[in-house]
Amino acid sequence: MTRLKLSRAIGHGTAVVALLGSLTSTSAFGASVDVSKWSPEYVRSIAGTEEVDTVGHCNSIVPTDYKGKLTMWYQAIAESDPQIMHQNYDEFWAAFKAAYPNIELDAQGITYNDLLDKLRTALLGNAAPMVVRLQILGGAEFASKGYLEPLKPEDVGYSSDDFWTGAMKSVKWDGVDYGIPTNNETMAFIWNADIFQRAGLDPEKAPATWDDVVAYSKQIHDTLGISGYGLVAKPNAGNTPYRFMPQLWAYGGGTLDEASAEPKYQDVWLNSAESKRALQASYDMYVRDKSVPASALTNTQAENQAPFISGQLAMMIAHPSEYARMQDLASKATGADKAVADEVVSNMRYGLIPTGPTGKRAVVFGGSNIHVIKSEYVDGGKVDEMAAKAMVCMWTSPEWSLKLAWSASNPGNLGGFKTKWMKERLDSIKFLDVTTSMLPNGIPFPVIPEAPEIMNIIIPDMLQNALTGAMTVDQAAEDAAQKVKDLVGGM
Amino acid sequence: MTTSTPQAASRQTTGAPAKASVWRSIWNHRTDYAYVLPALFAMLVVIGYPVYYTLDLSLFKTPASLQLKDKVFIGLENYSTILSSTSFWKVTLQTLIWTAFSTLIAFLLGLGAALALNREFIGRGILRGLLLVPWVVSAVAASYVWKWLYHSDFGVIGALAVQFGLSDKPINFIDNLQTGLPSLIVVNVWKEFSFAMIMLMAGLQTVPEQLLRAAQVDGASVWQRFWHVTFPHLKGVSMVTILLLTVQNFNSFIIPWIMTGGGPAGATDIWITQVYQLAFGRQRWGAAAAYSVILFVIMMSLGYFYVRSLTSGDRARAVE
Repeated sequence: MTRLKLSRAIGHGTAVVALLGSLTSTSAFGASVDVSKWSPEYVRSIAGTEEVDTVGHCNSIVPTDYKGKLTMWYQAIAESDPQIMHQNYDEFWAAFKAAYPNIELDAQGITYNDLLDKLRTALLGNAAPMVVRLQILGGAEFASKGYLEPLKPEDVGYSSDDFWTGAMKSVKWDGVDYGIPTNNETMAFIWNADIFQRAGLDPEKAPATWDDVVAYSKQIHDTLGISGYGLVAKPNAGNTPYRFMPQLWAYGGGTLDEASAEPKYQDVWLNSAESKRALQASYDMYVRDKSVPASALTNTQAENQAPFISGQLAMMIAHPSEYARMQDLASKATGADKAVADEVVSNMRYGLIPTGPTGKRAVVFGGSNIHVIKSEYVDGGKVDEMAAKAMVCMWTSPEWSLKLAWSASNPGNLGGFKTKWMKERLDSIKFLDVTTSMLPNGIPFPVIPEAPEIMNIIIPDMLQNALTGAMTVDQAAEDAAQKVKDLVGGM
Repeated sequence: MTTSTPQAASRQTTGAPAKASVWRSIWNHRTDYAYVLPALFAMLVVIGYPVYYTLDLSLFKTPASLQLKDKVFIGLENYSTILSSTSFWKVTLQTLIWTAFSTLIAFLLGLGAALALNREFIGRGILRGLLLVPWVVSAVAASYVWKWLYHSDFGVIGALAVQFGLSDKPINFIDNLQTGLPSLIVVNVWKEFSFAMIMLMAGLQTVPEQLLRAAQVDGASVWQRFWHVTFPHLKGVSMVTILLLTVQNFNSFIIPWIMTGGGPAGATDIWITQVYQLAFGRQRWGAAAAYSVILFVIMMSLGYFYVRSLTSGDRARAVE
């Protein structure tokens, strides 16, 4: 009896301590997920295990009756995105309006390729928005220039532990956090099993290595006369580094030392033997074997979708949303095209991105972060801090960081993986577990202000110089390495 | 002690009234000056200040890690870097090729179309309207359409070439170092020739009908009538058309930027795409400003000599 009372008292005491702990904790959503156990099975096991009250949490940060005004730019969803993305964005704006009816919101969606340029220009003219949700690549540049307000998850009631370490690194400059990750994604490798079979390849097996990709691409082209791998090498488009860097890293190369355990961003790796090997692999596919689209130099990934759905392209690196996109395209096709498109969709397969010669598997750790701009650079000269916090809190919540990344990405807030919506995603989005399981292989772009120029201009230029024969592979790599050296050296 | 020659004394005596008459003339036209003053002021603000700012900015380095206000003064280094870079001269050559061929071919096609449409025939109005379509179509829309027509794997032109047995595989128009620029020139000519056509059609209205008839009565051939009667009357409008096309082509941006972004490997880069890339892609605001100043000087020089040659006849007549 006494023992029972004691155990009950200990139980009650523990509950009280736990309750007090949760009340004093910076994070209202408890401990984050255990990324050390990350696997498709683990992701499935935690999905749907936690209830969240987004509005309640954000109202504890910024009261619901707060009256203010907010301007915001964000990377817009494309017309070609699946319908559910459009629907979720509409729902988000409605939810924000419901949670904060007195905040006047002016939100503008800008395309991925235009957002950086537009923001740079607006900042020069002190005409920037108060809040910007920016691709992961851009944060360091604006933070280093002093345009951004310090901002960390704790400021809106979350914990830094609730976000991927790599993602948190991308918002850090000189030891200070200047933003919060909204979504993080890694891509995967997709292929058309029917084309593989007709070309004499195992239809259910992705190429294991990048050397295999080169060989498969050639075999497919030589056998069927269609393109094997969907190479992309257009400058000024995010698509190019997202597809070439996994190859570069897998071979053991890099632009700087971003693929190392503790990057210092001092050494240039672009002219290493490993980097040259990766470039040589692209050269072999484009020039030697002619097994990839000739239009790769002017193509973005969007232009690869048409040949893929029409059965004229066998393999490419893509988002999890590619499956939904292909379903959309197939549903819009008519006549004989419809039959072909349906056949392609049923033959789509997702696998892990191939490894390099030493077994290294890599993928770009992509995503977006949300930032608050300093008042002096904002249109009107003043940031409404509370309104900005309200938006940041809502967007980075487990619920909305997941819903706004529904088909193309993953929630930046790891708590999103525990929600019922994650379970719904896993049940409804085919191959999501494959792309999600690539996350631990994700390597962030160098967190330096020069990263956008390196990734969007120098890397594509290197590819174009080699693939057009303007330079040899060796010269193109050396030329690019020199450009990176000059750039990082401040020339 | 100073001495004065009779000629100098004469200049002094005649100078004072001349100066007074200039001021008097200005005073007499004070209302005219008042009318143009607002426009002059607006020009100072929207043209004068940007020109000054560009000149100033061109003397600074603007690294990616610094705000523009923290730019570093480097004197004329941007100019020397640009002028000593091989890429500047490569791009300059490409710009000259782009401008010369675009201007010349658009002008000749426009001239041919204007001469053809100057005659009376059934459907002339419809044809004139149709030929104007490229000019009125948005350059952005046209660039995207042509990009797909040229597509190296699935382009309509390539497919037709294969269909008619002209090629055994789709033609690589814009993903190729050799054919990239000529392919863009074709698009530019298609877009611009109607402008030349309209200008020259207007010019043809000034050719006196009786002169042409007299030449015909005198037994002049079609070519002789064109060369000795029509063309001299078109000289003025031709010069203006060529000047406008040249300036427009030197400043071209939309077609090359949308269709190739200056690629592949810089094969279709021209001055303006390079300046844009330097400024907005690479944030080398100082270098981009220096580049713009260099272009400004080159284009002003070309413009000066062009206008001089254009007005040489007038000046000769004025002297006579």
